Amino acid sequence: MHYHHLPHPVPPTTTTFPDSMFSKKGKRRGNYNCGRCGQPKKGHVCHLPLTDSVSPSVTTVITPLSEPIQVKQRNHQPGSNLRRALSFDDIDVTEGTESDDDVADDVEVDFGSGKLPVSCVWEVMRRLPPVDLLSAAKVCTGWRDVSKMVWKAAEEVRVRVPKGSRVGFVGSVLQKCVKLGRLKLIMESDMDSTMLACIAFACPNLESMEIVMVEGSVNRITGDELGRFVADKRCLTTLKMDGCASLGSFVLCSNTLSTLWLSDLHSLSKMVFNVPNLNEISLDFTRQENDSTDLTSMMDGLGRTCPKLQNIHIASLQLSHSVVLSLTAANLRGLRMLSLVLGSEITDASVAAISKCYSNLELLDLSGSSISDSGLGIICNVFPETLTRLLVALCPNITSSGIQFATAQLPLLELIDCGMTICDSDTQYEKNNSEVEISPNSKLHLMQQKLFIKHARLKKLSLWGCSGLDSLYLSCPNLNDLNLNLCKNLVPEKLVLQCSKLEHVHAVGCEDVLIQAVQTQVSDDSASSESHYSRKRMADGSKRVGIPFLFSQPMPDYDKTSWKIRKRRCTVVVE
Amino acid sequence: MTSSKTIVLRSSDGATFEVDEAVALHSLMIKHRIETGGADSTTIDVPEVTGNTLSKVIEYCKKHVEAPNSDDLKSFDTDFVKVDQAVLCHLAKASYYMNIKGLLDLSSKTIADMFKGKTVEQIRETFHIKNDFTPEEEEELRKENSWNLFV
Repeated sequence: MHYHHLPHPVPPTTTTFPDSMFSKKGKRRGNYNCGRCGQPKKGHVCHLPLTDSVSPSVTTVITPLSEPIQVKQRNHQPGSNLRRALSFDDIDVTEGTESDDDVADDVEVDFGSGKLPVSCVWEVMRRLPPVDLLSAAKVCTGWRDVSKMVWKAAEEVRVRVPKGSRVGFVGSVLQKCVKLGRLKLIMESDMDSTMLACIAFACPNLESMEIVMVEGSVNRITGDELGRFVADKRCLTTLKMDGCASLGSFVLCSNTLSTLWLSDLHSLSKMVFNVPNLNEISLDFTRQENDSTDLTSMMDGLGRTCPKLQNIHIASLQLSHSVVLSLTAANLRGLRMLSLVLGSEITDASVAAISKCYSNLELLDLSGSSISDSGLGIICNVFPETLTRLLVALCPNITSSGIQFATAQLPLLELIDCGMTICDSDTQYEKNNSEVEISPNSKLHLMQQKLFIKHARLKKLSLWGCSGLDSLYLSCPNLNDLNLNLCKNLVPEKLVLQCSKLEHVHAVGCEDVLIQAVQTQVSDDSASSESHYSRKRMADGSKRVGIPFLFSQPMPDYDKTSWKIRKRRCTVVVE
Repeated sequence: MTSSKTIVLRSSDGATFEVDEAVALHSLMIKHRIETGGADSTTIDVPEVTGNTLSKVIEYCKKHVEAPNSDDLKSFDTDFVKVDQAVLCHLAKASYYMNIKGLLDLSSKTIADMFKGKTVEQIRETFHIKNDFTPEEEEELRKENSWNLFV
């Protein structure tokens, strides 16, 4: 399961969300290239124009499941993409067809000034994206027959449904692939019950359905319709749906459903989850203040009916301590990842309750809450043996000492997100000024904070927006990605980076001197004195400054002539 | 280290190629033949593949067996398939019969990439295919795939 980084409420100029922070580059399965432009599919949306034989408005795009956000540009609702990184694992993208159909090898088909056995043509066609496959079918009768076989064997289809297209379009595609197990629809047109019924009818073996809504399109599906769909699909294990504003209330009954992601929820009057095998749930509510959803009773119900939950993600302004208490009352034995974001009413007491009940968490995300350094202290006491990911972005009551304590006390930590925590924002100070007793250090408390982090396993660190940070010392040999966007007050002389594996440093909105300092730090690790800077402006307008530096590691047993020299390129993202 | 036994592969047109056993085993079909053929099988017939293609296939297997983790494997693969279409098709066919997954993936994908962005007519030209549809069949196809029905 792959989630996206919380987009901090920033002025639109800085739109480079550190998504890279949450994508693991380790597993390289399914490393296919886009059929249309040849670029690697990961994180790629193909914009190549279509051929004349197919209507120009139809685009069948194969986008990797791990980056659905790139197809849906919800710029008009900056807060709506609230999924966090609950997992490093990129979703395995299995190419469309894996069939053991017995293909008659003695049948040969015209192919390229010769003949190829059907199985070979099949091997070629199954690697074609849907639009090319449809074209191939029109070439000759032999090819038409092979392409039919490929469709029939298709287990997974991802289709962009263009604006204004009728249900017939989706139907005609789906009817070709009877065995279809996994369907992803990118809806440029509206989503409604007719479409849902079409899917229900055409795909009897559907296991996974994902509906992505593109900006401007509306999802009209009601709770009743969704409930009926889920109840009828006997094999459905995964359901992900965007734009669920019309749900209203729903009762979901399924023995097979294990993953459920619903986003853009609003004012749900009733939510019943008769889903005993539910493993992972993600509920993103819209960021509207007048949401009447009763999260406490929802959590109550969830806890009672879904005992096997392992991963929970809820993003809602209505999150509060009582919701947490319902959660702890549920005693979910398998809970490993917990993400409760945007709830400013979540406090240290909530942390205490969570830690008492669920001591094996691997991921804890309480971004946007009111927890303080003592809450972090509790976390460090309870979770040092299991916690690998900690996200506490946008928590105004956290200071650098809390963060420092956390990094010192949690040896297994691989990711920590402290975006917008150490802030010196004047407005925040003024607000506190009137209510809170001013201790002698509190003015300094918000400014000139220092961070000294020495951690053997940390891979990703985000100090996005920490404008109160003035000095930073990092000694993290496994650190891969560092986010210093908008760390405006970080003093270049007080920056020390001893992280040999650093590959990406984000320094958007930072002073030039700081960027220079970062570059020097990163290239200081090299034993070689030669270093050339190449500036490259990328197609999307951002700039990359590449600093190849040589990292030479002397092996104690070897003599000097056989040093292993590894070139590692660390890029500093400045725009 | 096993002894460097060699295997002789014979193509459809009688050409023979002597290769290390390890290289030959990269083809699962040959592996199977050796394992089931008894201890004396040193000559394997590959009647589905001509000499020219077989030598290319052997080149591929050699590189992949002898230096499987080298950095230039990717560029080797890219250059390997920079051949004309007929050779590519022969390679695909050979890799299918000889059950060499890597080469099958590589050649199929390369051929598949040749489709991108082409109209039906262009595809026919590229692969020298004759349109053998009757007008009724053509009409049928067009209807089936009609997403021209926009509101």
